[in-house]
Amino acid sequence: MRHFMLAIRPALTWLSRTALYISGAGLVAMTAIVGWQVFARYVLNDTPSWAEPMSLQLMSWFILLGAAVGVRESVHLGLDYVRHYAPAPVQRTMDLLSLGLIFLFGLAMSFYATLLSIGTWTATIPVLGWPGGVDFFPMIGGGVLIAIFAAERFLDVMLGAAVAADVLVQEAA
Amino acid sequence: MAYSILFGTFALLMMIGMPIAFCLGIASVATVLYMGLPPIVVFQQMNSGMNVFAMMAIPFFIFAGDLMVRGGIAARLIRFAAGLVGHMRGGLGQVNVVASTLFGGISGSAVADASAVGGLMIPQMAARGYDRSYAVNITVNAAIIALLIPPSHNMILYSIAAGGTVSVADLFTAGIVPGMLLAAALMVTAYIVARRRGYPAEPFPGLRRLGYFFLASLPGLLLIAIIFGGVRSGVFTATESSCIAVFYALIVALLVYRELDWHGFIEAVLQAVRTTAMVLLVIGTAASFGWLMSFLQVQQSMVILISAISDNPIIVLLMINIALLLLGTFMDMAPLVIISTPVLLPVVKAFGIDPVHFGVVMILNAGIGLNTPPVGTVLFVGCAVGGITIREAMRTIWPFFGASVGVLLLVTYIPGLSLWLPALFK
Amino acid sequence: QEITLRSADIHPDGYPTVEAVKYMGELVSERTKGRIKIEVMNNATLGNEKDTIEQTRFGVIDMNRVNAAPFNNLVPETTVLGLPFIFRSTEHMHKTVDGPIGEQVLAAFEPHGLIGLAFYDSGARSFYSTKKPIEKLEDLKGMKIRVQQSDLWIAMMEAFGANPTPMPMGEVYSSLETGVVDGAENNWPSYESARHFEVAKNYTLTEHSLNPEILVISKIAWDKLTPEDQTVVRQAAKDSVGKMRELWAAREKVSEEKVRAAGNTIIKVNKEEFSAAMKPVYDRFVTDPKMKALLEQVQAVQ
Ligand code: NA
Ligand code: NA
Repeated sequence: MRHFMLAIRPALTWLSRTALYISGAGLVAMTAIVGWQVFARYVLNDTPSWAEPMSLQLMSWFILLGAAVGVRESVHLGLDYVRHYAPAPVQRTMDLLSLGLIFLFGLAMSFYATLLSIGTWTATIPVLGWPGGVDFFPMIGGGVLIAIFAAERFLDVMLGAAVAADVLVQEAA
Repeated sequence: MAYSILFGTFALLMMIGMPIAFCLGIASVATVLYMGLPPIVVFQQMNSGMNVFAMMAIPFFIFAGDLMVRGGIAARLIRFAAGLVGHMRGGLGQVNVVASTLFGGISGSAVADASAVGGLMIPQMAARGYDRSYAVNITVNAAIIALLIPPSHNMILYSIAAGGTVSVADLFTAGIVPGMLLAAALMVTAYIVARRRGYPAEPFPGLRRLGYFFLASLPGLLLIAIIFGGVRSGVFTATESSCIAVFYALIVALLVYRELDWHGFIEAVLQAVRTTAMVLLVIGTAASFGWLMSFLQVQQSMVILISAISDNPIIVLLMINIALLLLGTFMDMAPLVIISTPVLLPVVKAFGIDPVHFGVVMILNAGIGLNTPPVGTVLFVGCAVGGITIREAMRTIWPFFGASVGVLLLVTYIPGLSLWLPALFK
Repeated sequence: QEITLRSADIHPDGYPTVEAVKYMGELVSERTKGRIKIEVMNNATLGNEKDTIEQTRFGVIDMNRVNAAPFNNLVPETTVLGLPFIFRSTEHMHKTVDGPIGEQVLAAFEPHGLIGLAFYDSGARSFYSTKKPIEKLEDLKGMKIRVQQSDLWIAMMEAFGANPTPMPMGEVYSSLETGVVDGAENNWPSYESARHFEVAKNYTLTEHSLNPEILVISKIAWDKLTPEDQTVVRQAAKDSVGKMRELWAAREKVSEEKVRAAGNTIIKVNKEEFSAAMKPVYDRFVTDPKMKALLEQVQAVQ
């Protein structure tokens, strides 16, 4: 198991970096699109109606890929109080429970988002004209990534390995 | 019973240290499974919750704020503040407050404020013989001003959590007077403490140099006018103003001050992803949680419950404030605002309290919570920047904390402080 | 066994659609001796119209009262009812939906997991503007008009010569106030209750759309009812229509009086001129033979 983790670690690191960069590119693209919307409205006197639905699509990818990276890098937006003062074995159990549930939640997100995508496929997204199901692609992809990274950390905790990337990032308060 | 599953699972998961976005989502799934509803609704609502155009303002404002720190805009505002009030008693303490107020006018992030202003001011203050704890205390309390003075992405968060029924332009305007009041209260406190401890004042740089500092900081000051003026007059929406702030910060940093390089830009982008993606995911799963609360009619029960305790708005507001302060000790600002707004807003509305006024109360209250351990993000940042322990900071924080809570009480019980200015624009 | 049917609505208490479904609930309860009840969860507490349509299809909630427009993508037949100027008058609209055409459209919901129960009124939608009053078609040229996020509505505004600006209903008031848009369009009650009449003082009676509201029940909930109960529910829905029309007419009158009392300018126009501009919309949205046939049927109703 330890060998397996060592073997796949570079691939997982690559995956999370790629997700982080795509998410960042999404933010830059959102900025450009909304900027264009303002410019077009005031300078060209013509509101591009695609700008809002397009930037919303990008935002969903931005959120879910970024949040998946957050799972791997252990971004905490929670109350770490009880856990912090618990004895080590209890802490370990809490972490396993927490990561195991996140893993299941990621899978459930992918599964139900797939159902939603199929169920809304025949509808069309206004203005963009894409199938309605496209709306759920970020949740399908993000759910899988969240499950993968939660599984990685679950196995790390179980094996007692040093946690992969324990960057504690501050939230945007 | 469904109530207990929803809130019980949520509380339990939070205690084992699970990130709040997942606590909310998993508690929702557990509840629909118990009720025999299709779990698909949880994910449908999560998707809807993340498809709100106004949410984009949150990463944009964070991104812009980071660019302004990296691009030298923040440093020039602080230098201008130093020239302006440094000659008062406890000069650098006063500078810290004014710098936070100016920085608050271009950024809505208390964390960014504490690290930007604290990073420059705390070492200077320590070098001039101020106690580090004094420097940290003043930094972290003044950082809350950024949440009240527009722009404030937390007010946008409140507006989203209120279902988009509260005007962002009104909230922005309503925060100004309370923000100024907090600044004044902290300056007076800084003065009193400085007198007692015999802290020095700085020499006045002279009008010529002050004028130069002013001119150098003008691009930053101009942004305050662009954002507030633009949103207030309706030339652009809050979301658009946040995007304009990004472009503006980029232009100033690249072309005027020339302090930003490609590497710094990439860093700023990735930092914005790391700090905001999880917050936005919280908005998504909180939408599912909120949908279940509506389905179970939790809000109506809350109104009935609180009415049974008291029908006096003064008491109700006091109870809500105390509850929020307690929750704020162990919850971060964004989740606190996102989760408690939909529950409390119907209650305060039932008691005839204005949603804009309540928004300011909630933001200030949750902002104070950023300085209360065990989860006190801004306090932690301030202590890290100042190189002291939280225990050390807590020993002497009381006068400043008292001033902040005092302002909270004034803002709570004098609605005019919040509502007078927005009414002028009607 | 007792059954409570949960029904969604985006409007507040007292709104005609909400009260009509409550009235239907009374009828059902009376006729089943309290066995079946209807609980209206209004004020968009369960989400926007698009969300609640999906929830009804998945069986999360049982009934839903929604405008015909959000159904367009799902049930193409509903598009015809939303075409601009398709109805000559409210009577024409009532005759159409009360007759075989209405039955045909309601029946078209079944393959999509919904049972169409009844049509409600949504009044006539007209333009309103802040600065420039709209007195003829030419006045709309280049005006920024708020529309719903819908291809049909965007195409309609383009055909009128306006500059369509899609945005959610909640942002319209401040957008009118601050000039982000120059105008919008809606029926009397919404123009009044959303307070848009305070900021957009010119109401132009184009009456370009009479798109009705539709009441549906989830097929999942429907299949759980006995055939006798199904008959009771369907009949009670039909019986609530008359009540709804009464409430609607009263509400429209109250709103109109309130707007007139506020001193707003009410403008009558030559509707022919506006209706003549709509050909590109018909050409684009009525393409397949089934839709064309339905359109001709509607136009033939006297
Ligand atoms: Na601010
Ligand atoms: Na706290």
